Amino acid sequence: MTTQEITATGDIEIAEASRTNLWRDAVARLAANRLAVVAILPIVLLFFIAAFGPFLTPYDFLAQDFTARLASPSSEHWLGTDELGRDVFSRILYGARTAVSVGLVSTAISLIVGLVMGSLAGYLGGRVDMLVVWLTDMTRSMPALLLAIVINLTLKVPLEAWMEQMYLATKNGFFRQTMWVDLVLVFGALALIQWPGYARLIRGQILSIRSRNYVLAARALGMPTGRILTRYVIPNAMGPLIVAVSAGMGGAMVLESAFSFLGVGVQLPIPSWGKMISDGLRMWQTHPHLLVGPAVMMAVITVSFAWLGDGLNDALNPRQWGG
Amino acid sequence: MSVLLDVQELQTRFQVRKGYVYAVNGVSFKLEEGETLAVVGESGCGKSVTMLSLVRLLPPAASIENGKVLLRGDDLLQIDQRQLRDVRGGQIGMIFQDPMTSLNPFINIGTQMSEPLIYHRGMSKKEALARSAELLEMVGIPDGEARLREYPHQFSGGMRQRVMIAMSMSCEPAVLIADEPTTALDVTIQAQIVELVKELRDRSGVAVIWITHDLSVVAGIADRVIVMYAGYIVEEAPVDALFEDPRHPYTVGLMGALPSLEGDTGTRLTTIGGSPPDLEDLPDFCPFHTRCPYSIDRCRTENPMLEPVADASDRGHRAACWVDIREVEVQSNGAGASS
Ligand SMILES: Nc1ncnc2c1ncn2[C@@H]1O[C@H](COP(=O)(O)OP(=O)(O)OP(=O)(O)O)[C@@H](O)[C@H]1O
Ligand code: SF4
Ligand SMILES: [Mg+2]
Repeated sequence: MTTQEITATGDIEIAEASRTNLWRDAVARLAANRLAVVAILPIVLLFFIAAFGPFLTPYDFLAQDFTARLASPSSEHWLGTDELGRDVFSRILYGARTAVSVGLVSTAISLIVGLVMGSLAGYLGGRVDMLVVWLTDMTRSMPALLLAIVINLTLKVPLEAWMEQMYLATKNGFFRQTMWVDLVLVFGALALIQWPGYARLIRGQILSIRSRNYVLAARALGMPTGRILTRYVIPNAMGPLIVAVSAGMGGAMVLESAFSFLGVGVQLPIPSWGKMISDGLRMWQTHPHLLVGPAVMMAVITVSFAWLGDGLNDALNPRQWGG
Repeated sequence: MSVLLDVQELQTRFQVRKGYVYAVNGVSFKLEEGETLAVVGESGCGKSVTMLSLVRLLPPAASIENGKVLLRGDDLLQIDQRQLRDVRGGQIGMIFQDPMTSLNPFINIGTQMSEPLIYHRGMSKKEALARSAELLEMVGIPDGEARLREYPHQFSGGMRQRVMIAMSMSCEPAVLIADEPTTALDVTIQAQIVELVKELRDRSGVAVIWITHDLSVVAGIADRVIVMYAGYIVEEAPVDALFEDPRHPYTVGLMGALPSLEGDTGTRLTTIGGSPPDLEDLPDFCPFHTRCPYSIDRCRTENPMLEPVADASDRGHRAACWVDIREVEVQSNGAGASS
């Protein structure tokens, strides 16, 4: 971008600029970042497997081959089988579904809560701010896993009892499936653990952006507060938020595996990598193939999200738009 | 001429850890329809805080402790938030010092310019965009329609200030407050911006409050001038009277700080010896006395009020000083030598 003086048009300077779209610029910058590009492949693959996994697997994830329990990798079972003779590769593919839903849902919930709380705190300030900061401090001071265990221990039984009652009262089949209780508890615990991070990030962003000139200028033009928040503050807070979300997706998946390890994870018939890792850990010395597959997947996905987040941050950073 | 804006006894302070910063201390002035008022004074004397107080755009630590801001009779310090938003941008437009950061980098110029038109004037998006293109051409940005689709980073500093001016003028406000709008720009562009505002003013009849450090700009654009010091107005006069017959020692000091002919641009008014008083601990007598070569005993016991000066050529010439400086010989040729 160059600036040149042009006298023909009434003595004013014209910024000679590439008249391209802002987002196209960002995509171009993202494409130039090698780590981010490398990271995109596993992430796209993950979502693809999550969507189409069931059509790709050689075996059903529950199908048991009693003749080949704890079998090592072979041409028949590429990654071997587990104690019950279930095909590990198929279970990993199905596990992608769990990972993606855990990542998406828990991140979405905590992000929404964090956005609302952080925006209120940052924009309104005063007592609201103090309350939100206190709440986030409280939540963050509790160990994440302990929190999940406490939630599971205290809420699981009453929730299941409530489901039972609702079933008796309504005869609605929905209430017979206790897996919903598991899901609610796991997503709830993950959201509870993760929202303070998002809230504090948003709050900090807002405090810094609120004092920027374009917000003052917008207020001086009489723009309503809500409009300033959605059009001026939140888009400008997006860069760091996208990084946090990207890393948070990976983080949520890792946390879920920790929950599973402690027995408070998703107890679904569908496999989860966390559960597979925790099961595999019990006999990793004798049967490492049970651990390696899910662990490698988990590591690759977590790192990919982190790299992608960094790349997005660089690409979306307005400082690099010559602003 | 009728009074458009009547500011009375305005007081604004900031809460800080150990107490208060008294930034604006009983400022009163009037602005008439179509008039251009310049506000000058050293950095930190309260120019910006005064203007932000008028439309209650202050940071959270600030509070307005007293005063009235009457815009055509309505007190802006009393109206509710909704009415206040209508005043901002609708009745009082503002432009600020740093055009590089005054536009939202995420929204294209057209959308950004349309928002106040949609909001204040109830235009449709299409009408607002068409009007925005006209406004761009009006502030000297050719090819307005095409440029609406561009983003702020595609505009230079001077262009962005033009956009800011177009936006603040888009809803035809009665008052335009310009807070050092040229300080951050190149010299040649500074002059262009001053010319642009003059032209728009003459065409639309908007009253202008122009905050500046640059006395040469004052001479070129203003009808009247207010000189501020430590949160007080210390002198107020029609522009000619102020330059020919300054009556407050501080104003005399400012004149002494005028750039020489070959001097560089926009010289900051900091060449008076000494420094301004601590706004957290203001004396209850003349705040200028530590730097004033004319100071007498009374200056250290009582704070002078802003009052009409003796033998004034204009009734509007007022100063806050116990001494008639025309009657005093100062050995050291102007302000600043004694302390
Ligand atoms: N957020 C704040 N907290 C505490 N004090 C402040 C704050 N903002 C401004 N002040 C004080 O208010 C006083 C007046 O500031 P103001 O910005 O009005 O000065 P100014 O005359 O506009 O100066 P400049 O020419 O540098 O723009 C300053 O002395 C400053 O110390
Ligand atoms: S009142 Fe006294 S100290 Fe203050 S400006 Fe006048 S002469 Fe100087
Ligand atoms: Mg200022």
